[in-house]
Amino acid sequence: MLKGKGVSNGIGFGNIVILKKVERKIEKKTIESAQVENELERLHEALREVIDETEIQMKHISGTEADIMQAYLMILQDPSLISETENAIKNSHYNAEYAVEVGFNSVIQIFENMDDAYMASRSRDILDIKNRVLGKLLKEETIDLSNLKPNTIIVATELTTSETAKLDFKNVSGIITEMGGENSHTSIMARTHTIPAITKVEEATKLFKDGDSVAINGTSGEIYVNPTEEEKQKLLTLEKQLEEEKTELEKYRDKESITKDGTKVKLYANIGLPSDAEIALKNTAEGVGLLRSEFLYMDSDTMPTEEDQFEAYKQVAEIMKDKEAIIRTLDIGGDKDLKYLNLEKEANPFLGYRAIRLCLDNPKIFKIQLRAILRASAFGKLAIMFPMISSIEELRAAKQVLEECKKELDNENVSYDKNIQVGIMIEIPSAALIADKLAQECDFFSIGTNDLIQYTVAVERGNEKISKLYTKYHPAVIKLIKQAIDGAHLSNITCGMCGEAAGDPLYIPLLIGLGLDEFSMNSNNILRARRTINNLDKEICKKLSEEILQMASAEEVEKRLREFVNN
Amino acid sequence: MVKDKIILKNETGLHARPASELAKLAASFKSTVKLNVNGKTVDAKSILAIMAAGIKYNTEIEIECDGEDEEKALSEIIKGFNNNFSE
Repeated sequence: MLKGKGVSNGIGFGNIVILKKVERKIEKKTIESAQVENELERLHEALREVIDETEIQMKHISGTEADIMQAYLMILQDPSLISETENAIKNSHYNAEYAVEVGFNSVIQIFENMDDAYMASRSRDILDIKNRVLGKLLKEETIDLSNLKPNTIIVATELTTSETAKLDFKNVSGIITEMGGENSHTSIMARTHTIPAITKVEEATKLFKDGDSVAINGTSGEIYVNPTEEEKQKLLTLEKQLEEEKTELEKYRDKESITKDGTKVKLYANIGLPSDAEIALKNTAEGVGLLRSEFLYMDSDTMPTEEDQFEAYKQVAEIMKDKEAIIRTLDIGGDKDLKYLNLEKEANPFLGYRAIRLCLDNPKIFKIQLRAILRASAFGKLAIMFPMISSIEELRAAKQVLEECKKELDNENVSYDKNIQVGIMIEIPSAALIADKLAQECDFFSIGTNDLIQYTVAVERGNEKISKLYTKYHPAVIKLIKQAIDGAHLSNITCGMCGEAAGDPLYIPLLIGLGLDEFSMNSNNILRARRTINNLDKEICKKLSEEILQMASAEEVEKRLREFVNN
Repeated sequence: MVKDKIILKNETGLHARPASELAKLAASFKSTVKLNVNGKTVDAKSILAIMAAGIKYNTEIEIECDGEDEEKALSEIIKGFNNNFSE
C-alpha cells in the first residue's frame, strides 16, 4: 500500500491513466519535390483529426465555450492559414511539421501585434490549435481528457486549470498527483466534483503504469495497487457508509438554514471556476460567498483582458440569477506567482507584495478587473470583496479606484448595478482588531480563516514542520473572529466566513454562538452544515462560545467542542 | 462582379463571434467575397483574415462579390451586417 495526503473524500476503484508532459522538438527539414504531395497529405490528415476531435468535444459543451470551439473549427479550416502553411511545403519545401510552425506563427504574430488587447489574446487560441496539430503530426499520444474510459484514475504531476476544465468527470473515479496541497486548484476541484483525490505521492507518474488497477481512499490517502479481495471488501464497506450518509443528508435539501430557536443564517459556496456555480446550486447553496478570481490569471501567459473577465463573471451572475455571488479581487503574490507580472522573489512572500497591495500599486491591472465585475453586475447580483486589507487607508484607496471605474462606465453609458455591495476579507489580525472602524466604510465582511490563523500564530500554512501550531482552535484566533463579528454588527453589516472552518461541523456551533451570519464552504459540505445548524440552539451555542472565550489553550477548546458535538 | 458599402455597427468591432458568423456565411457561396476596408482587401471566407483586419465600430466596409451567385451573396451578407450578425 502507498500513502499520500487525502484531499477529497471518497473511495475510488479504477485503472490508471498517466498524464505525462512531453518535450517537443520540431525539426526543420528540406524535402524533395516528390515528397511534397505526401507532406501535404500528412498536413491535411492532422488538421482533419483535430477537427474531428473538436467536433466531438463540442457535443458536450454550450455557451461561451461552444462559441470558442466554433471559432477553433473555423480557424482549422481557414483558407488563408491553410494556404500559408501549404505554401511553406510547396514553395519552401519544408516538412509538414516545420510548415505548420511557419504558417501558424505568421498568423500568431499578426494577432500578437494588434493593439486591441482582445485580439492580441486570440493569439493564444491559435497557439493552442498549432500545438494540437503538431501533436497529431508527431503522432504524440495525447490523452483526450474530455473522452476517458469509465473508471479512470488520473495520475499527474499536477493538473492545470485548463486540463481540469476539459476533464470528463463522469468517468474519473480518482485523481493522484505528485504536487499540491489541500487548497491547491486540483484538490478544490476534486472536492467540488466529489472525486476522491490524493496528493503528495512522490514520483507517482513513474511509480504507476498505464492500466494498473488501483483502489484509493481519498479520506486517508491510501492507495492499493492490485488490491486483494480483503482490501476491496474493506473499502466497499467504507464506501457504503459514505453513501448512507449522503442519502441521510438529502433530507436537508429543502430545509431552511435555521437553528432550532429560529436564527436564520446563509449557507454559501466557495467556487474556483464560473461553471462551479452550477455545482453550488445543485448542492443547494444560497449564494456564492467566494469566487476566487485567480483561475483567470493563473493559467495564462498573458494578462486576461477585460472582455475575458467580463464573460467569466457574467456567466456566474447568470447562473446564480437573484442569488448573491461575491467575487474576490485578484489575490496573487505570496505563494501564487504570475509569469507575466515578473514579481521579484521575496524572503517573506506571505508578508509581502500580494493581493490588494499589488492591485493598489498597479491600478491599471486592478481597473481591468473592477470594470469587468461592474459590467457583469448588470446580469445578476454580484458583490465585490477586497482581500488582504490591513488598514482603513487600503479600503479607502480600493473604493476610490472602484469609484473611478464607475465614473468611466457612466461616461461610456455602460450599465452596471449601482448598488453593488463592497466588502472586505478579514484575514489579517490588524483588520480584525479595527473591525468596528472598517465596518463603517464597507457593506460586509468575510473572515478568511486560513490566512487569519497563519498571521495570528505566525505559522506558514504549508510548512509541515510546524503544522501542529497551525490551529483554528487557538483562543487568540477565536477572539479575533469574535471581534470581527461584533465590529460588523455594530454597523449593522453582515459578517461571513469563507475559510475552511466555516464548513466544519465541529466549529459551526462556536460560530453560531459568536453570531456569524454567513457560512461559505465547499459545495459538498453544505447539506452537512445545514443538518448541523438545524440541530443547534443559538442560545446554547452562545453559552458555549462564552465558555470557550475564557479558555487558555487550543487543546482545551478542541476538547470542549468535541464534547459538545458528541452530546 | 457586384459591390456595395455598409458601416459596421457592432459596438465591439468584428470580434471572434461576428467574424466567424461572417466567414461561415461567406463560405456558403460559390462567389469570392472580399471586404475592402481601410485601403486593404480581406478575404471574407477567412475568419483569421477578418479578425486580423481589426475592423472597428463605425468603419466603412465595401463588400465585393464575384461569381455565379454574386447577387445573392451580396444581399445575404449585407443582411448579416445589418443584423450585426445577431450580436
